[in-house]
Amino acid sequence: MKPITFTIERFDPETDAAPHVETYTVDVNEGARVLHALHAVREQCDPSLTYRYCCMTGQCGSCSVRVDGEPVLACMHEAYDGMRVAPLNLPVERDLAVEMKSYLKDLAGITPSAFTGYLTSEANEEIRPIRDCIECLACVSECPALAVADFTGPLSMRQEMRIALDPRDERNRAALTVKDGLFTCTTCQRCLEVCPKHIAIPGKAIEKLREIAHREGLTLPKHQTVADMVRATGRSVDRIMPTVLEQVPEVIEPVGEVRGEVGFFVGCMYNGRLPDTALKMLAVLRRNGIRVIIPPEQVCCGSPLIRTGQTEFVRELKRINIGCFVDRGIDTVITTCAGCGSTLKNDYDTPFRVLDINELLEEYGIETPVSSSVPMTYHDPCHLRRGQHVTEEPRTLLRKLTDDFREMPARCCGAGGGVRSGQPDVAADLGRERRDAIAKTGAEMVVTSCPFCEFHISEHADVPVVNIITLLFEAYEKMDEASGEDSGWKDIPCRDSE
Amino acid sequence: MVNIMPGDHVTDCHVLVIGSGGAGCRAALEASRYGETVLLSRTLTGKGGCTIMAEGGYNAVLNEEDSTTLHFEDTMRGGGYLNDPALAKVLVTESPDRFRDLTAWGSVFDVEHDCVPAQRPFGGQRFCRTCYAGDRSGHEMIQTLTEQIRNTDIRQVQETSAIDFLMDGKRVAGAITLDRDGHLGAITADATVVATGGATRCYDISTNCAAGTGDGFALGYRAGATLIDMEMVQFHPTGAVYPPDSRGRLITEAVRGEGGVLKNSLGERFMERYDPERMELSTRDVVARSIATEILEGRGTEHGGVYLDVTHLSAEEIERRLPIMLDQFLHFGVDIRIQPMEVAPTAHHLMGGLKITPDTATTLPGLFACGEVTGGVHGANRLGGNALADTQVFGKRAGEAAGKSPKISLSVDVDAVLAIEAARCDAYCNGTTPPHEILRDLTRVMWDHAGIFRTKTGLQEAEATVSRLQMLIPKAANRRMLNECCTVTNMLTVARLIIQGALLREESRGAHVRTDITQSWTAENSPFGHTVQSLFGTTIEDRRRDA
Repeated sequence: MKPITFTIERFDPETDAAPHVETYTVDVNEGARVLHALHAVREQCDPSLTYRYCCMTGQCGSCSVRVDGEPVLACMHEAYDGMRVAPLNLPVERDLAVEMKSYLKDLAGITPSAFTGYLTSEANEEIRPIRDCIECLACVSECPALAVADFTGPLSMRQEMRIALDPRDERNRAALTVKDGLFTCTTCQRCLEVCPKHIAIPGKAIEKLREIAHREGLTLPKHQTVADMVRATGRSVDRIMPTVLEQVPEVIEPVGEVRGEVGFFVGCMYNGRLPDTALKMLAVLRRNGIRVIIPPEQVCCGSPLIRTGQTEFVRELKRINIGCFVDRGIDTVITTCAGCGSTLKNDYDTPFRVLDINELLEEYGIETPVSSSVPMTYHDPCHLRRGQHVTEEPRTLLRKLTDDFREMPARCCGAGGGVRSGQPDVAADLGRERRDAIAKTGAEMVVTSCPFCEFHISEHADVPVVNIITLLFEAYEKMDEASGEDSGWKDIPCRDSE
Repeated sequence: MVNIMPGDHVTDCHVLVIGSGGAGCRAALEASRYGETVLLSRTLTGKGGCTIMAEGGYNAVLNEEDSTTLHFEDTMRGGGYLNDPALAKVLVTESPDRFRDLTAWGSVFDVEHDCVPAQRPFGGQRFCRTCYAGDRSGHEMIQTLTEQIRNTDIRQVQETSAIDFLMDGKRVAGAITLDRDGHLGAITADATVVATGGATRCYDISTNCAAGTGDGFALGYRAGATLIDMEMVQFHPTGAVYPPDSRGRLITEAVRGEGGVLKNSLGERFMERYDPERMELSTRDVVARSIATEILEGRGTEHGGVYLDVTHLSAEEIERRLPIMLDQFLHFGVDIRIQPMEVAPTAHHLMGGLKITPDTATTLPGLFACGEVTGGVHGANRLGGNALADTQVFGKRAGEAAGKSPKISLSVDVDAVLAIEAARCDAYCNGTTPPHEILRDLTRVMWDHAGIFRTKTGLQEAEATVSRLQMLIPKAANRRMLNECCTVTNMLTVARLIIQGALLREESRGAHVRTDITQSWTAENSPFGHTVQSLFGTTIEDRRRDA
């Protein structure tokens, strides 16, 4: 036995005006789970502590709680000294027991019919990946869209997809899911991140339901417009200024020694809306010895279509995009757009390696920039954090750029999944939540690494939003100013000069 | 005074089903076809009970080369011929149809080829008969059943316990309930189905969920029902041994079904010494005793188990067929793709229970029973895969029998009964001993003296301990703990029934081993039949005399 000290958020609606945190020290066995620590509190300190549990093997989904802010199954998660235990982000009944019944009672089931035979292997394989759900409500408790929109949430969407996939139930429920908020999901993947069974609800349920809705003609008009534009121009944004691809040559040689060579997938947002940011990124690579190859025939990655279920000509986009890098013998392709990166990594099957710019800079190492003392916080783009599991690299870089880095909770800003265009109210609500979270840190600047987040948060935040690579660019500029030297790293050759 | 919930503390229905595991859910679905049905559960619907955590599978004769005769023989032989043959017959005959019901309702069991259910080998069976959904077979069933329950107008009363049957004379007419906040209530019913599951939480090391406390056995016993073979406790051969708080967690038989081998600390595949023919896939009683013997004789592992090894299988096979095992062990720092598991026996299933007819009628009018709370289906040892089948076959029968029961008019004064229960609750509020302290002593003595190997002396010592513990009054620090006090009281009752049964049965048979007795007979020609216990007396059937 060993003693551990930890806190529990307690609340008794009969006696407490608000939840309060209590600290407990108890003896537990080596390897004890959170649940055993809760048992120990009940037995050694306070028998009134209320929490749910039953199977104790991670299968009944009764015991989910938050530990240090993250939902876990108490019966499976190891207890540790200093942990902070709190109820899920749902209405609290008492202590760690939250309201669950109302979320479970209306989940749809297969329409019962007479036995007509067993499933085919194909149907079985399709349903299987979303069938492991233990209805623990971790996803429901963390879904940002559900919190602000009229959305029944990831659990119910998963269940609808399960029915849609089942040949034994022929009901068409696409219209119903649209009414239930199908298009309010930002595909932020928080539900997948917290799912103890690792069920990919955005990819395996939401986007697939949107495909069905699309086939039924239920696509939102704004999303339809984007698809039309991609079909007509290969791009998801219209041309309102000179694009990156119009400006740069196919190969950009670095200044000094060549330390590496990568292909650059520009992406529609950087190409057509934020070309300056992209050019600054190219300059940073130039200064750090990376040769960049930019095939001009590349097109939209297809993300805006895949997220909204309009997948008919995604195959063609993939063919062009993969082909243009393969033809040039490129083995590493970088993205600066988190959405493109996530799409290339997860929705494509590429014969080359795809890296986000943050990963690339970490891998090759960079010239150390000058640091500032401006208090900064970092907004994790969903498609970078959860789509690509890139979380530490930008933080490492940011700590080189400021002496005063402040963390904030990683939540969706509302820009993804076509919600910004299709459901602007929902996106704005989530944007305002981000504003409040940023304000709470006291940071004077919010740094991120995704064009959608950058655009969207700028509209709501009270402080400037800056791309992390732009920040690095500016730091190098300052160093040059101080030293009076300039290697010409910012002078990216023009396309015409070739 | 303990609060009796004001106003609507009495609910009426046609059928009351107690317990929302596999059997209770199935019974409720069937009963709801006949009239208003209440599904009472001490947990959230479907989240309690052991079905949801059942891993291995569901036995059903689906292949033309298999036969129900073979399944029947395997079940009887596995059960040491103590099974009630009529119940075993019903089990094997109806199990395929109930499996098809689950399929029609949306269950997604694995298929081998297109439209042919996959079936794996399980211990003690001469055919690959165990249908499965990876190693989450029970979860698949509960998902299916709860989906269907949500489709119906079954009234779910959740997180509320039945603390006693409501007796109208000698007839069961519903139940007295206690909710999470300690409010008493009553549900009156024309017919009541008890499907509260097993009781191996009475043991220090157990696979059961927190609800495996045997309330149904105790409620039935107090109401005067007859129970049989309560000494027949199945010790599953393979439970986790480490870390300490996770001891007993089930390691599914599917691990051995998929080819897992057992080895002792010397690296010997020791099943060769105990059952060279069936090896790891011998019946559970044999494998459990073999492992226990290896450990007792000093050939155990560091943490007091033996090795169970699947590392010879490909990583892909393990990931696909045993995903939960893989995930659970990874949580505890063991990668079963490259490391052996450490396992030891763990209390798993109670074969004994309420005596029922094939129509699930107990000895009390108005009370039907199904699932693990019943006795006789599995005899002295249950085959892996027969429990999930049991829940569906007898769940359906119980729901149907209860549903067809005639309407009754009550003559009992419910308020008077509630007043008596309130007094009982008051006593708990003024109790002497925290429930967990009573449980600690109970579970240890049961493991030590009513476990795999038993003697008269040991059993008497266990009985003395239970008697001492029954003198204590469990203390409810607040009214929300009243349920826990009722549960502990029930567990003591069940423990006593197990011990008394074990003392009555002076032979070794199936899961019950008396090391202090030498016998000249095999299970098949044993002179003994069921042990029979009720408020009105205890006995063991003498087959020769009774014949």
